[in-house]
Amino acid sequence: MLVAQIIATGLPWPRRYADIEMTTATLQGSSDFGPEPRQTDRVGYLLVAFFALPFFLFNILPVLFGFYVSFTRWSIVGSPKWVGFDNFSKAFHDQWVGVAFKNVLFYGLIIVPCVTGFGLLFALFVNKRYPLSGLARTLFFAPTVVSATVIGLVWVWMLDTQYGLVNYYLSFLGFHDIPWLTSTQWSLIGVSIASVWWDLGLAFVLFLAALQDIPGEIVEAARVDGANRWQRFKHVILPHLRPVISMVVTLQLISTLRIFSQVYVMTNGGPASSSSSPIHYIYNLAIVRNLFGYAAAVSLMLFALILVITAVQRIFLRERA
Amino acid sequence: MMSAWLDERLERRGLERADLFIWPLGLAVAVLWALPFVWMVSTSFKFPSDVMTRDIEWLPRRVTLDNYIKVFDYPVIRWGFNSVVQATLSTFLCVLFGAMAGYALARMRFPGRDALFYIFLASLMIPTEVSVIPLLLGFIKMGWASTYQALILPSIGNVFSVYIFRQFFMSFPKELEEAAKMDGAGPFNLFFCIALPLARAPAIAASVIIFTLNWNNFLWPLLVTFDESMKTLPVGVAAFTPVVGTRTQIEGFSVAMAAVTILSVPSLLLFCFLQRYFIQGLSQGGVKQ
Repeated sequence: MLVAQIIATGLPWPRRYADIEMTTATLQGSSDFGPEPRQTDRVGYLLVAFFALPFFLFNILPVLFGFYVSFTRWSIVGSPKWVGFDNFSKAFHDQWVGVAFKNVLFYGLIIVPCVTGFGLLFALFVNKRYPLSGLARTLFFAPTVVSATVIGLVWVWMLDTQYGLVNYYLSFLGFHDIPWLTSTQWSLIGVSIASVWWDLGLAFVLFLAALQDIPGEIVEAARVDGANRWQRFKHVILPHLRPVISMVVTLQLISTLRIFSQVYVMTNGGPASSSSSPIHYIYNLAIVRNLFGYAAAVSLMLFALILVITAVQRIFLRERA
Repeated sequence: MMSAWLDERLERRGLERADLFIWPLGLAVAVLWALPFVWMVSTSFKFPSDVMTRDIEWLPRRVTLDNYIKVFDYPVIRWGFNSVVQATLSTFLCVLFGAMAGYALARMRFPGRDALFYIFLASLMIPTEVSVIPLLLGFIKMGWASTYQALILPSIGNVFSVYIFRQFFMSFPKELEEAAKMDGAGPFNLFFCIALPLARAPAIAASVIIFTLNWNNFLWPLLVTFDESMKTLPVGVAAFTPVVGTRTQIEGFSVAMAAVTILSVPSLLLFCFLQRYFIQGLSQGGVKQ
């Protein structure tokens, strides 16, 4: 999930931003061959082919094929039947599609601010280089490297209504037996808690890298001038972090739109679809109900939503810069 | 007197008095953050009767390995084997092919080179979920569902690998190549004997990150494995959630936590020992020498 999140958005992460611009310039410069005429390296094609072949076959071709599939009715047995826009118009009237997309917006509303806020807070702490802050960095990042199954099962246990650790300690504060994963009101929040724990590491690392890029002298100068902690953060550090905050928000939003594994492991979308997500619905359509054409159509709708969000964010970023 | 001494000590570290509160608070949060892991391991060593109870024992009074033994009632060895095959092979191929492509894209000249690189970069915009359903359909139609090729092939084309190596080889000293060329080394020798052995840093970074990604991969193995015997560890273990009225409910969470502990050990170990590569690789997208 980790890199997939970065990879899938195609957003260059902070330090590389300049590099991409730079390499673009170098590339353009080098493609009109310089004064010395050079031979074409035919071997280059061969070296690239080993990667390009599986890439085009298993990463690109399926996307193109998916456009076709989404216009058909297709199950595992039997041949495809062309149905035009039927799948799409069906999806717009399917109440469960509505529920899944509504849920994912709520997931976004909970997970994105939490991951961004806490990620930034934790990064600010670790960046101070207190004693033991290396240990803190390891602990903050660790959940991100384990699989969704680990996250899911650990949190199903942590959030168990009767014997879970969370409810046990909450009972001292006067909250009793919250049905985190077994009620329609709470299930989405329960899954979100686990997701924040899982996803925070990436935001944290990106913030930490950005903080380390801020020259220490600037912050020190502000301190000498008598700026307090909050003023230093607001007027010196925060302006430097604007691009990376906006990037983390987009990354997290997109990764949340694609939320699936933890939902599948923790609640399987239930109870009564109260924690389902678009990908979870797509999974059900394909695997449980064997409606591949319809599933492909819904996944294209999700893709469109993700593209729109990425585009909006890019424009936003460019205006800021 | 005392406070002057304190201020001086703090000043020397570039700290203020407020830091005296922030430091322990932050560390406490960090420890809190890791508690679910502690609870996971703790539960995995408990007797089932000590698990489903409101007596919270962080350190179990009595310890058992029974849960770990019970985990092996399920085909976990087979799942583990599948996971190892899937994760190592696809990571190896992805890193090797990525290094070759990254080298060619950075060091060689051929028409279409830039276009190719832009296609690779642009493909990053497409979430895997879009291709997953048609891909599954394709694999089923080819009769490749529940096979190793189905688990491995789609994860070879991870552009992250190409990107990280291209980044590295862009700043690779020309002199080395030219010296080897003078000695009559062909392009293949040049890559395998000169360039690749020097690319250890990006190779490690790409390997750990892509291996973790493959080891944890969930959606695709879940979709493409219909046979119990072809499941990977994360997919197989996901079924350990206690379900009301089944055997797992009686065992409670102790067996599930044992299974999950086994599953998280490889990724956590890899992360602990190679943390530097993880964080650098992720935050910079490339490892500088």
